Amino acid sequence: MKLRRPKYLVETPTSAMNDIAFILIVFFLVCASVEPEDGRSQVIPRSEKNEDRQTSQSTEVGLTPATVTIDGTPYRLNEFQSRIRQILAQKKTEAERVVVLKSQADVPYEHWIAMTGIIERAGGIVTLLLEEEQTVNLN
Amino acid sequence: MILRRKSVEATVPSMAMGDIAFLLLIFIVLLARARDESHLVWQPATGTELVKPANRNASVVIDKQNVTYLNGRPVQVENLAAELEALLGDLPAGGRTVLFKVHKDVIAEFFEPAIEAVSEAGGELHHVLEPAPNPSAVP
Repeated sequence: MKLRRPKYLVETPTSAMNDIAFILIVFFLVCASVEPEDGRSQVIPRSEKNEDRQTSQSTEVGLTPATVTIDGTPYRLNEFQSRIRQILAQKKTEAERVVVLKSQADVPYEHWIAMTGIIERAGGIVTLLLEEEQTVNLN
Repeated sequence: MILRRKSVEATVPSMAMGDIAFLLLIFIVLLARARDESHLVWQPATGTELVKPANRNASVVIDKQNVTYLNGRPVQVENLAAELEALLGDLPAGGRTVLFKVHKDVIAEFFEPAIEAVSEAGGELHHVLEPAPNPSAVP
């Protein structure tokens, strides 16, 4: 008597491949599009306008990595918030509420963003005071 | 004599579908990477009251190594204003959002000139931040 060997299925089932591939496409697309975008908008006046705005009425805030000053007077970080609110509450016009921010070169971004956040929440308009390098030829 | 009609199988060949889907997948992933900034190493600073930007016209990143990128491409800070102006063109106010992504430890020497460049180009700055784990701790 001849015994027949049974035929096994040796082919890989390919019908599910489409679904797998499309799910992978969706997965990669979703991964690629998830980038953080939440944050805070900030209006910084154009530099040419700044010169007009920097009048004696505007408040000057100085930033170093550890301290913060208002018109030259140093404040602790917890005092700064209440003091800047107090000062800006007295200002009536937009031009008066301009706060000139002068940062030392080594101020980290995290500190800068926290301090400008306080100023803006207090109603101030932040404008930057940057140091410019100039070459002067002496004869 | 009765002639039997040949039965013809009319199935869609699904064997190649997997390959087509994978090619599509590679194509889409490559396209996504062209606009992707995931290769840039930066950690956002923390903030409170974060909002989503209304639109997204350009993205400026300053990474851990203090290198400035415009839309994922390295750029000199001196050229940033001109390149942003070319990108933003004559877009109306409210539609000139520039996402500003700065590593939290980058110092003012590097990020302030970039802020000035955005301002010069008439861009509307949107600092990308992450929500503070304990908002009451943020000054």
